[in-house]
Amino acid sequence: MASSQSVKRVVKEVKPILSLDREEARQRVLNLYKAWHRQLSYIVKQYDIPKNQEQCRQKLREQFTKYDEIKDIRLIDMLVIKGQMELKEVVNMWKQKGHIMTYFKDTVEPKPQDFLSKFLSGKD
Amino acid sequence: MIVDMLRVTLNKVLNGAKLCPKHIYIATRAQSGEVKKPEKVEVFIDDKPVHVEPGTTILQAAAMVGIEIPRFCYHERLAVAGNCRMCLVEVEKSPKPVAACAMPVMKGWRIKTDSELTRRAREGIMEFLLVNHPLDCPICDQGGECDLQDQSMAFGSDRSRFTDIDFSGKRAVEDKDIGPLIKTIMTRCIHCTRCIRFASEVAGVDDLGTTGRGNDMQVGTYIEKMFLSELSGNVIDLCPVGALTSKPYSFTARPWEIRKVDSIDVLDAIGSNIIVSTRTGEVMRIMPRVNEEINEEWLSDKSRFSYDGLKRQRLVTPMLRDCNGELKPVDWEAALLTVAKVVKNAGPAIGAIAGGLADAEVLVAVKDLLNKLGSEALCTEHTFPLDGSGTDLRSSYLLNNKIAGAEEADVVLLVGTNPRFEAPLLNSRLRKAWIHNELEVASIGPKIDLRYEYQHLGNDPALLQQILCGQHEFSKKLISAKKPLIIVGSETLERSDGAGVLGTVQALAATCTGANKDWKVLNILHKVASQVAALDIGYIPGVDKIRDNSNLKVLLLIGADECSIEKSDLPADCFIIYQGHHGDYGASIADAILPGAAYTEKQATYVNTEGRAQETLVAVTPPGRAREDWKIIRALSEIVEAKLPYDNLNEIHVRIKELQDFYMTDAISRASPTMAKCVQAVLKQKQSKY
Amino acid sequence: MSLLRQLLHRNVGVRTLNNSVCRNKVRFLTTAAPEVTRETRRKKLIRVDKKEKYPVVSSDECFALLYTFKRTLELRYIQLHPAPGSTVRKSDEVARGQLKDFGKYVAECLPKYVQTVQITAGDEIEILITPEGVLPVLQFLKDHHSAQFSNLIDIAGMDVPSRPYRFEIIYNLLSLRFNSRIRVKTYTDELTPVESCNDIYKAANWYEREIWDMYGVFFSNHPDLRRILTDYGFEGHPFRKDFPLSGYVEVRYDDEKKRVVLEPLELAQEFRRFELSAPWEQFPNFRNAHPAAETVETEEKGKK
Repeated sequence: MASSQSVKRVVKEVKPILSLDREEARQRVLNLYKAWHRQLSYIVKQYDIPKNQEQCRQKLREQFTKYDEIKDIRLIDMLVIKGQMELKEVVNMWKQKGHIMTYFKDTVEPKPQDFLSKFLSGKD
Repeated sequence: MIVDMLRVTLNKVLNGAKLCPKHIYIATRAQSGEVKKPEKVEVFIDDKPVHVEPGTTILQAAAMVGIEIPRFCYHERLAVAGNCRMCLVEVEKSPKPVAACAMPVMKGWRIKTDSELTRRAREGIMEFLLVNHPLDCPICDQGGECDLQDQSMAFGSDRSRFTDIDFSGKRAVEDKDIGPLIKTIMTRCIHCTRCIRFASEVAGVDDLGTTGRGNDMQVGTYIEKMFLSELSGNVIDLCPVGALTSKPYSFTARPWEIRKVDSIDVLDAIGSNIIVSTRTGEVMRIMPRVNEEINEEWLSDKSRFSYDGLKRQRLVTPMLRDCNGELKPVDWEAALLTVAKVVKNAGPAIGAIAGGLADAEVLVAVKDLLNKLGSEALCTEHTFPLDGSGTDLRSSYLLNNKIAGAEEADVVLLVGTNPRFEAPLLNSRLRKAWIHNELEVASIGPKIDLRYEYQHLGNDPALLQQILCGQHEFSKKLISAKKPLIIVGSETLERSDGAGVLGTVQALAATCTGANKDWKVLNILHKVASQVAALDIGYIPGVDKIRDNSNLKVLLLIGADECSIEKSDLPADCFIIYQGHHGDYGASIADAILPGAAYTEKQATYVNTEGRAQETLVAVTPPGRAREDWKIIRALSEIVEAKLPYDNLNEIHVRIKELQDFYMTDAISRASPTMAKCVQAVLKQKQSKY
Repeated sequence: MSLLRQLLHRNVGVRTLNNSVCRNKVRFLTTAAPEVTRETRRKKLIRVDKKEKYPVVSSDECFALLYTFKRTLELRYIQLHPAPGSTVRKSDEVARGQLKDFGKYVAECLPKYVQTVQITAGDEIEILITPEGVLPVLQFLKDHHSAQFSNLIDIAGMDVPSRPYRFEIIYNLLSLRFNSRIRVKTYTDELTPVESCNDIYKAANWYEREIWDMYGVFFSNHPDLRRILTDYGFEGHPFRKDFPLSGYVEVRYDDEKKRVVLEPLELAQEFRRFELSAPWEQFPNFRNAHPAAETVETEEKGKK
């Protein structure tokens, strides 16, 4: 009795965002990836960024594989929606050079890890 | 003789009428011992029943059921005055409202703290108070933490009947000059007389009083005079309005924009609990935090006002002495590499001296580092006799009976100490016992003014021997005493005959054990905050070991600024490293300077003279490139290739614990302009004919 | 005319008798009546209806009059009716009754969606609905003949992380026809979409974009859901309570790279914090404040 109740609580009914099953969500992710991929050559051409298409492709792959672990269909849908919006921002040239380069984090210095470098940089 | 009168009258009040604040009440009960407890009386406060001891005031009874009655003049650590009338409450069947702070409850009373009559009485009192109070809250330093402001919001009328817009009759009072610490704006005074009672009861300085009557009443010193007390700053906290405010803090910050951090004071060995107020990375002021066992709610002036020294003469960057003999700023990498090279070459020929402000963490780190390098030359600046049991037994160098324990004593012998300046808060405890508990005090040492009467036995250590042998008249008193205390100043023990004095005192303490087994007679009063921790960790008191070592190559000074060692005492090629936070004596003789953090800038452990371990917290970040002290030693150890096994505070605390069962006047004050002004003012006062 | 209505509605001491405006004459029910009559006798603006003891004026006259006496009346009213210990605005029992009746009516009409009807701040009606009911309830309130809430004033969001559905979506509606306002509240979490009400109120377009941007609540069937306030590439939703006040990244112009760069935030200076606890909170009178909302008993509730 108690166990069936707890099971009920765990698999609570939720309202889907877009996809009804895993396969549909997977298809949406692949579609988004393809859409980005198709746009890459234009992005490299249109934006004045010091990166070539191959580097951008790697970055795109990295951005997608970052969320490998996520299995919740609704979370995947939410990420797809945000990815779609972002693609729109890029393709419509709403973003600027700086926004695109933010993906590459080329000015961020790695944080000091060991005691001595933390001490010398004065950061904890 | 005024003080004596106070003592007599107070005792009469205490034992006769039952009108007494809480703490006095405990004292009287302690005296009466096994006398049958009087029956409790039941009263009703806002219809809530409460059983209280007979003699409890309405205000105290209300506090027991969590009802706060507004007040201005009443303060639980001072005698009851009952003159502000703010605490008026309605008592059923009483024709008039009564002052809750001064009225003892009677059986079956029904007290109404929120009735129409009570509220009207409060509103009326508030109106009277505000008639003669200026409307200068926007430029008043008390604004935002003012009792009058808060309570007028809560209990005052929401409209004014004050129509005299020409200000023909508004009272104005000339400001007094009572010294460089306390700013007075006497027009704001509401005559609660808290400051007067504090001065005469706690500080023992009967300088403040009232003159004039009615509308002409004024609080002041009558003749222009300084409020010369080492506890004077506490009247700032006591003043419910902005009449007495802090001079150094004036117009610098507002209470609502300030960040408060709980911390520990390290400028004497008492370890008072404090609140450090900061704004935008700057210490704005220091206030006491209540700790019944240490400082109650008082704070000595030195601890309260010397914070401005934390911004001056600071060491902000590592420095190395170049070939011209001048100290040049360098970055941490260069400084650490240079120092590490010297330390490595020296090997075991390295020594360290810990100053009075060193915390337990850095003491442990330095000890571990030097032990790894094969050296045992770890010293403290202040010496302590090593004869007999030396520092092996913790009880031989602690204030064993605790600070709060001084209140219960009946006979106290002070040996070579002036608690008024070495530990003002211990002195206030002694004074409290002297007033409320018939304490008898005797002193051996220079004749001093303790702000209470004591028997001055003389200035000769030989007197101790006489008392021990029973040849002195005082020995009888000491032996017959139920709770005797012997408080030995650490300065006495630094004399050449210190060991002899300590031996005699120990023998004396053994003869008069008092009635109670747990009562500890022998008490050592230290002067600096680091000493007990250093002795606990295993430092050798005194610098003789360094001085005698003729082939010392490197000397590490951990904030050692007391001129205990000079360059001439050391071999000519000895490399001196100074690690500390102020450019004082130690820095001037150093070859390398590693800037550390002051007590407001680090989380660090200090052990006070009772052996109580307490922790300071980070209120502001260290200035410039200064770092927390133990981290400097830890970083240095890595470069010297004797890496210490702790990377963060938790790990070093574990290390401190395994090292010891840790149940745990200085550079800042010298750099403080406020303190300098105080010295000037005292000198001026001494020349004055009053 | 609507300005006058608003004035009447907003005014503290004055309201129309039956909460509606007559074509030519406005009747005042005011406790400051003698004051008004004295003033107006002088100016010959207000006739006093002897039988009812209340002044009666034509609307044109009173328009100017109201401006002149609005403040006087307000002050007078406050002086005559001080709430104990404070000068809080008193709510109007008649208006409250009408609001309650309307709330009950809505709950009766839409029992499936309306969960609670409550009155807050004295005279503001709130309807708490399930997320499924956003469209039907809004449609009802817009189109019903005796509601006609034709204006969507704004949509607000609220984040209470401790709740199972952490976000509240709040629709503020205005009925110009009846000079009345209503608040509709629903709830959702990070992943549950809410129906967009763009088809009912065109004004919802940007408001819903704003909520999406600030809270990350997804509105399904929105024609153009995208960010509206934050910068392109901004990560996170700033109005969520778990979003730090200082944000995650800092933006600066890099002179070497000749562009704006984003870097992880590092606060060099201590963050300014204020102590906001009131010092007189210890006095109990100020702890026992009146509850903010009063629930209206609806039919549904009564059955249970």
